[in-house]
Formats: sequence, C-alpha cells, structure tokens
Amino acid sequence: MNIDPRSKMLIVVCLTGLALMYDTPRQLLLLFLAAIALLFIFRFDIRTIAGYFRPFLSLLLFLFIIQTIFVPGGEVLLGVRHTPLITSGGLATAASVVLRIAVIAAAAMLLMTFNSRDFILGLVQWKVPFELAFMVAITLRYLPLFRDELLTVVTAIQLRGVELKRVPWGEKIALQRSLIFPVVYRTMLQAQQLAVAIEARGFRAYPHRTYIRRLRFYWADYAVISLSLLTTIALVVQHMA
Amino acid sequence: MSFIQIRQVDYSYPRKTNPAVAGINLTLEGNCITALVGPNGSGKTTLTKLMIGLLPPSRGEVYLAGRSLKQYTLAQIGRRIGYVFQNPDLQLFCPSVAEEIAFGMTRPGQEPELIQEKVDFYLDYFELGDYRNAFPLHLSQGEKQRLAIAAVLANEPEFLILDEPTIGLDAYRKKRLEDYLGKVVGLGRGMLLVSHDLVFVNRMAARVVGMENGRITSDSGQEGGQTHEY
Repeated sequence: MNIDPRSKMLIVVCLTGLALMYDTPRQLLLLFLAAIALLFIFRFDIRTIAGYFRPFLSLLLFLFIIQTIFVPGGEVLLGVRHTPLITSGGLATAASVVLRIAVIAAAAMLLMTFNSRDFILGLVQWKVPFELAFMVAITLRYLPLFRDELLTVVTAIQLRGVELKRVPWGEKIALQRSLIFPVVYRTMLQAQQLAVAIEARGFRAYPHRTYIRRLRFYWADYAVISLSLLTTIALVVQHMA
Repeated sequence: MSFIQIRQVDYSYPRKTNPAVAGINLTLEGNCITALVGPNGSGKTTLTKLMIGLLPPSRGEVYLAGRSLKQYTLAQIGRRIGYVFQNPDLQLFCPSVAEEIAFGMTRPGQEPELIQEKVDFYLDYFELGDYRNAFPLHLSQGEKQRLAIAAVLANEPEFLILDEPTIGLDAYRKKRLEDYLGKVVGLGRGMLLVSHDLVFVNRMAARVVGMENGRITSDSGQEGGQTHEY
C-alpha cells in the first residue's frame, strides 16, 4: 500500500498531538501500542523497530529514574528516613514521560518511509513555503550525520590510544570538549557551505518554483486521512469530556 | 613475526551485494614500508580499516602481533598502530594545534617538559609553529594533513598506516614527509602507505601491493622481491 507522504505526516501529527494531550501511563501505553501497530502496518519489522529504539533505552531509563525520584506524589513506596524515594505518583509521572517520548519516537519512524524530496513536496503542496519545507528536510537529513560525526570523533580519540571507559570522571568532562566542539564546528561549517552551494544553484532566485513531480491522493490516502482525523477528534472529545 | 596478518578476509558493506574486499591474504612486517596501490574503489581504504579494527571482517581474521584483532580494544590498537585518515578533518578534535599533537602523549602520564619538547619538535618539523594556538579545523587542507600526520607520529606507534598522506602537500613538504618517514622506518617501525602518488610510492616503498575490485592483484614483496601477479 503506497500512502502519500502527507497522509503519513498527518498520522505523525495526530500521534504526537495525542501523546502531548494524554497524561496517564495507561492512555500513553495504549497510544504507544497503537503506534507500534501502525509501524507493522507500514511494513516495519520487529528487528528494525527494536534497533531504532535501542539507542534511546539508556536515555529513557535515566529519565524514568530521575522523574521517579524528583517528582514525588501519592503513596510512598520506598523512602529513606523521612525522604520519599519512590512514590506511586513519581512512578506514574515517570512512566508517562517515558511513554510519551516513545510514542513520539515511534511516530517519527513513519517519516523514514519516504525521502526528503517527497517530504518537501508534501509540505509545499500543503502551502508551506518552500524555504521552510526545505529547511525542515535538511534538518532531518543532517540529524543522522550529526550522530555519525560524534561517532567519528569518538573513534579518532580511541585511535590515539585513549580507553574511554577507563578515563577518570574529571578527565571525562574535559574530553567532552574534544567531543562536542569539533562536531558543532563541523556541523556549522557544513551548514555554511551548504548555504553557499544552494545559493550558487539559484535557490530563491525566482519567486516561483517548477516541480517535476506532483503528489496525488488516492482512495487509500483519503481513507487514512479520514480515519486519522476522525479517530483523533473522537479521542480528544472523549478526553475533554 | 609478522606485525599484521590478514587471513582469508572478506568484507561487504551493509546492503551491498558485491564484497568491498574478498579473499585477502596479506602479511605486513613491522620493519619496512609497504605501499598499497590501486584505482579508486579497489578496496584500499576498506582494507586499512579492517586492519585497525574499524570494520569487522565478514569472513576471515586479522591478527596484530600474533593475536586476533578481536582481543584488542580500539585504544589498544591505536597505541600500536598509528592511522592517518584520508580526510584529516576526521581525526582532528582538539581546540589547538599544540594540544592536538600533545593529546596522545598526555594520557600515559608523561612528564610535561618532555611532552612540550616533543610538541615543539613536531611543530617545528612539520612547519606548524605559527599555528601553535590555532584551531585545527581552521587550517588549510595541507596544514591539516601535516597536523594529522604529526599528531599520529607523536604517539610513536610501532606501525603506521597512512591513507593518501601526500594529498594537499606541495613538493617541498612531500620531501620533508619522505625524510621523516624514512627516519621512522630507520627506527625499526613498519608502515603501510596507501597512495596514488606513484613517484612517492616508488621512492618510499620496499614492497608494493596492488589491488583491484577488492582483491590483491600483485605483490612485489613475495619470494625474493619479484612481483607476483594474481
């Protein structure tokens, strides 16, 4: 089933909106399961999904622990002297935060099912100015490159004989400077060079652009859009009631 | 004992059907300069990355000083093999040129005076003294190339792998590099040069290994220095 990128973008917007609206772990868990089901419908397999989430796991765990401890509420489940450590309210808040991020991340996977050219085309046909659409697409394209740059610097540091796992904490903080500084600088330099390159190719030289392709909705897209909007509206009304 | 040994190694990049390198058997000694030559896309850089453990072989094994590369961490490999990337930008990460050269030396706890002496030496030898406090990524391509080489040499590794070390270097600086690499080999260190610069290769290398389409096609270093075509 080839769905128009705009239909998928709408699904992402609906899922993200619902994730921001819902605030209980149960609601967010159901939403997360729905997002995973959608990924299966769009032919993602379990290994791809698991591989996508793996890098997030330590961050999610960290957030879960921090939220549990520092946002107490409800019944105290574990305390030290008179200080509550783990509370029912803290656990609920932590679960909500983690699940919300997971839903948004799962929704974002849908954006991986089409290329940046279709993404720009979809936004433009939705009357988003081309420059904005192009800017968003470039950002999405560069995010994985940002991660690759970090990995490259980590590799280069190790190849100079530094065992990162054995570096004392004080030096680890100093090493962050070596990690982050060149990545940020190179990214900004790339952005600058890209700006020069696209201007040299006539970007924004004329008020109107001609597009070789146009996206078209088919019956499946109308069905997906209708279903997404109606479901979202129904859930919002139910939540408000 | 051979320093690096590659046995029946294949490697394919993800989602590619054709292997980048296939059936590689190669032994590199720790006391001579070997050149790896071949057209673009022949697998030279891939092979060097396999040698330092940046890529895991799909088949076969790579050995460093008699032990499988899997038994080393990347840092342990980095202490023994100095690798200069084809693009020097990829290995510059310190806020100044002097720190870049000193980086590898500060970790094992060498004396500051000795580190300073070595930094001064390399800055002087590679004519980077004027850029001591400059941000490395602001240097020109040739200056970055010299800095990357200096930073790796400063660690005094047992073996060097230099991927296109002469790119961006003018004739004078190429000569300086040749002289320095000659001294390094004189100290008993081995080297693998990946280069399209055949003049440089012929002047430096005692052995030339040719690659094409991911396979070794010739090797001048086998059986009495005669070139063997595969």
